[in-house]
Amino acid sequence: MSVEKERVHPVISVRNVSMEFRIPKESSDSLKEYLIRVLTRQHSLRTLKALSEVSFDVFPGQVVGIVGSNGSGKSTLLKIISGAMPPTGGQVIADRDQIHLLTLGCGFDRELTARENVYLNAALLGYGRQEIADRYPQIVKFAQLEGFMDQKIKNFSSGMVSRLAFAIATARELPGVLILDEILSVGDAFFRKKSEEKIRRMIRGGTAVLLVSHSVSAVLGTCSRVLWLEKGKLMMDGEPRQVCDAYLAYGRKPV
Amino acid sequence: MKYSFVTQQLVQRELKRKYSRSRLGILWSVLNPLLSMAVLSLVFSTMFRKSIENYPVYYLTGLILWNFFTGATNAAMTSLADNRTLLLQTRFPRAVFPLSRVLASFVNFLYSLAAYAVILAVFSIRPVWTMVLFVPIVALLGLFAMGVGFLLSILYAYFGDIRHLYGVLLTLWMYLSALFYPVSLLPETMQKVIGENPIYCYIAAARDCMMYGQVPPAGLWARMVLWAVFVFWAGSRCFLKNQGKIIQSL
Repeated sequence: MSVEKERVHPVISVRNVSMEFRIPKESSDSLKEYLIRVLTRQHSLRTLKALSEVSFDVFPGQVVGIVGSNGSGKSTLLKIISGAMPPTGGQVIADRDQIHLLTLGCGFDRELTARENVYLNAALLGYGRQEIADRYPQIVKFAQLEGFMDQKIKNFSSGMVSRLAFAIATARELPGVLILDEILSVGDAFFRKKSEEKIRRMIRGGTAVLLVSHSVSAVLGTCSRVLWLEKGKLMMDGEPRQVCDAYLAYGRKPV
Repeated sequence: MKYSFVTQQLVQRELKRKYSRSRLGILWSVLNPLLSMAVLSLVFSTMFRKSIENYPVYYLTGLILWNFFTGATNAAMTSLADNRTLLLQTRFPRAVFPLSRVLASFVNFLYSLAAYAVILAVFSIRPVWTMVLFVPIVALLGLFAMGVGFLLSILYAYFGDIRHLYGVLLTLWMYLSALFYPVSLLPETMQKVIGENPIYCYIAAARDCMMYGQVPPAGLWARMVLWAVFVFWAGSRCFLKNQGKIIQSL
């Protein structure tokens, strides 16, 4: 199995990625506090290691789940992979234009209508003018929001918003990598089934999926491989069942 | 240009947002300067009658430029912080966010020109060829505002207080821009100070070519170009250097 994988190029290659945040011991949000602290030389920083030496490859068609408790570095890792943040150490080799990061409720302007948001969001995701015009009906249909498109997003339920976000991000045929941050756990059961089907179809077409979730059951149901992050370290990488069991056992361990 | 579509979408959003809760909508861009002009004229017209001819036009010429500058820089300042989630999602050059805010203010400015045209007609100021020079003056002011906007957006990402500080600074700046009083009223040294104020340069040049049918003097042009080019250069340099780092502090 591993021999077969070697021949295919990884779509994402994370190599020894470390991320350190230098945060002041006392937060100085205001200029006054900052200046006082710098002038009195009390401006001490401590280093927070969010990720240390994380390495893994993701291959086309893989569905990789990432589990870990709060603050384990999952979101930081996603931001680095998607290119929003440069890592302080190591590197990520990937075609950034092929990566789509999908997080809940982001990128939508609540004061605008759903239609305006589709255009804005699609433009930000890199769709062209013609492309979005062509795909608009399909997006509305998939999100099951016919008749709601001229309403402002602020009147939408959270389920409707995430349905729309999901529909926009997956409207393009075969994006290279889809990164889902807690997105599968929303929407009703019917939509969840539909979106899982869509993702499966995209996987068959060669799309890789990175999925972050707190819910172990969602990860077990969809992923072919699971990474477990804890305190910025990659603890395990392997079969979903095995990794999830280890993760759950760790969580149950008395402190 | 590759990013024209996304920029256009962002500009449209800013414009829709601005008036999303008002009935008159974009008409406020026209009404606002007119109402402000009416108030100031009521207060100061008689006071400055001797030194300023056509006081409302004098004030409005400065005001629309001033509003463009403050609108653009204030909006650009918070552009990165407001679009925090979008910054994480997209790999567009981050400059599209402050840029689209400045462009949205420019569109507002274009609307306020309608009010300006009406007032020019009301005060029977005849169209002269020098009015063409208004275009490069506004372009230079736009460049200047963009540079300031770049600087502010980065500063604001690090220090939220900048917004309040800038508010105070703008008040001072406005009084130093001779928006509603004649410069000749001031003592000599103060006149010199105001002469070096970039915003005043743009306003004075605009008055020259719009109200008095004069070509602004070469010294004024030199100042306008130098300020615009220098600030834009410094601003965009600072922006490019810091854009990768700011995401941590937002």
